[in-house]
Amino acid sequence: MSARNRKAGAPFTPAGEPVDAGGHLLKDDRPGAVSIPGAGDIPPGRKTRTLWGDAWTRLRKNKLAIAGLVWVILIITVTLSADLWVPQTFGDPTSTEFDGLLSPSATHPFGTDRIGRDVFARVIYGARVSLAVGVLAVGISVILGLTLGALSGYYGGVLDSLVMRTADIFFAFPYMLFAIALLAILGPGYQNVFIAIGILGWPSIARVFRSSILSVKETEYVDAARAMGASDLRIMLRHVLPNAIAPLIVYSTMSIGGAIITEAALSYLGMGVQAPTPSWGGMLSEAKALMGVAPWLTIWPGFAILTTVLSFVLMGDGMRDALDVKMKD
Amino acid sequence: MALLEVTNLKTHFTTRDGVVRAVDGVSFSVEEGHTLAIVGESGSGKSVTALSLMRLIPDPPGKIIEGSIILRGDDVRKMDDSTVRAMRGDRIAMIFQDPMTSLNPVFRVGFQIGEALRIHKGMTRKEAAARAVEMLELVGIPNPADRARDYPHQFSGGMRQRAMIAMALACDPDILIADEPTTALDVTIQAQILELMIELQQRKGTAIIMITHDLGVVADMADDVMVMYAGKQVEYGSAHDVFYQPRHPYTWGLLDSLPRHDIDEKGTLLPIEGQPPSLIDVPSGCAFHPRCPYAQDRCVKESPELRDITSGHMAACHFAGEDGFVRGEAVPVTGGVE
Repeated sequence: MSARNRKAGAPFTPAGEPVDAGGHLLKDDRPGAVSIPGAGDIPPGRKTRTLWGDAWTRLRKNKLAIAGLVWVILIITVTLSADLWVPQTFGDPTSTEFDGLLSPSATHPFGTDRIGRDVFARVIYGARVSLAVGVLAVGISVILGLTLGALSGYYGGVLDSLVMRTADIFFAFPYMLFAIALLAILGPGYQNVFIAIGILGWPSIARVFRSSILSVKETEYVDAARAMGASDLRIMLRHVLPNAIAPLIVYSTMSIGGAIITEAALSYLGMGVQAPTPSWGGMLSEAKALMGVAPWLTIWPGFAILTTVLSFVLMGDGMRDALDVKMKD
Repeated sequence: MALLEVTNLKTHFTTRDGVVRAVDGVSFSVEEGHTLAIVGESGSGKSVTALSLMRLIPDPPGKIIEGSIILRGDDVRKMDDSTVRAMRGDRIAMIFQDPMTSLNPVFRVGFQIGEALRIHKGMTRKEAAARAVEMLELVGIPNPADRARDYPHQFSGGMRQRAMIAMALACDPDILIADEPTTALDVTIQAQILELMIELQQRKGTAIIMITHDLGVVADMADDVMVMYAGKQVEYGSAHDVFYQPRHPYTWGLLDSLPRHDIDEKGTLLPIEGQPPSLIDVPSGCAFHPRCPYAQDRCVKESPELRDITSGHMAACHFAGEDGFVRGEAVPVTGGVE
């Protein structure tokens, strides 16, 4: 409605119905409408969406994020159900029952490796190691980083300096070198890999969460909660944490991709998962000498790493947009 | 005895640049069911006064260094942390300036209103939720049962401030502190919110401390008015006295700067010249002298005491109460003092 066709002193709603000073419809014939001046009318029985419902609606519109999600779910389903069909159809991932270096064919879709193991089976079983290490490592990072970041951001002062300087010390070492050094102490193996990656991951998580807490801490609803008589713990858990968690979710999702890469790198270097357990990094390591003769040994584990990591990054990216309340439409 | 008795309250902040005397010796009392308005420009110490009453001053850098705050015989300054928490929201509640940001975006409105009840009255979720719906109805939200399940972003600004009021009054506090509750709202909604506060006060007998820079907001609802400048009281008395016989030149300035639609639509507003002083480096003598058109040499040297001009009406000006030193008649000193 333009200002020109609006008569002075007679306010109208956008639809042109007359209203009183409070913007309340003077003529309201909708069934069940309650008339309280100035409080605004709403149609009764309207559905309210939850915040997470809203976020999901926005995430669903992001095709790349959904592609990533579908791919991750597919890999998880395939690798969890692998025991039921992979060994029966393609062979056990650790048995050397076939001829070595067979090219991809109908019986061996990804070919076989030097000592006659089915590459398809090994890629599928390798997903278990990669996904488990990714999720568990980030789990450890999140538990450490969330606790330390929360304390650091909420209380500040000496505690904050202590935690953040410790984080700086972690950042001061080259990441890969630090991981190798940790594994040298802990010894190689699947369990130690995720522990090492988890320990190395907490400083970034703590930083992300701390800064997010610092901004939420200054909001008026936190002041209001304090004025209401809420305890520190209640303010932290009820008011600060849920509002500060979105960046953490995004960062953690992307970190899973990073952890998978690190695991692959460590296994490639022989510090990670040990033979004969299949892992994508380990497979690349075995394939490097045969790249010219049997390129499928490099391509398929490489493809698996690429797509899985990419999926997590795309998911994280989509969540960033979905959880951003400012982008509400 | 008054419900709330504040004597010589001093709240200072220690900063790198020096000590900020945000509140510097303020005394006032609030009677049961009455409304006290604290008026002043930004930085005059209004909000710090209010936060001091609830012991919500961030320490460090701030600290209440002197004075007493007696709420129904209990000294708020001497309370331990858990007693203070038990008081906040239950005996003294507060509503904030910006309703858009003072509700937590991730919780449903009803849940937030019920939170104080769960903290202070030990109610279960169910009881608190039922009471929250009653409170929403009380503050005039239509379809309260449905609306309680909404998130704050589904509420308009006026409705959110209503929800904030519902939240603050849920525990039936003795005192409601309203820190510029209508500043962020548009004018028609402002009037509605003020009316709602007056109505609820009459119904529940809650005392209100209203903090505002807008004397117009105060006129309808205040019983007493305290005008603050640079952390000190410059005038304090009944609303009638302060509005009709203001004694301090600063109060005159505030009144002159109000737009008036009843007299002369084309008249210009009279602003108070200059800026409020820095509270680290307060001017000597009367803090208002650099901006006061009536300032004389004495004002630069001597700090005026807050004193009774007529019974119960106090002002801190050397000349207050002198013949001819009243609003509209006093003659500005030409040239002033530098």
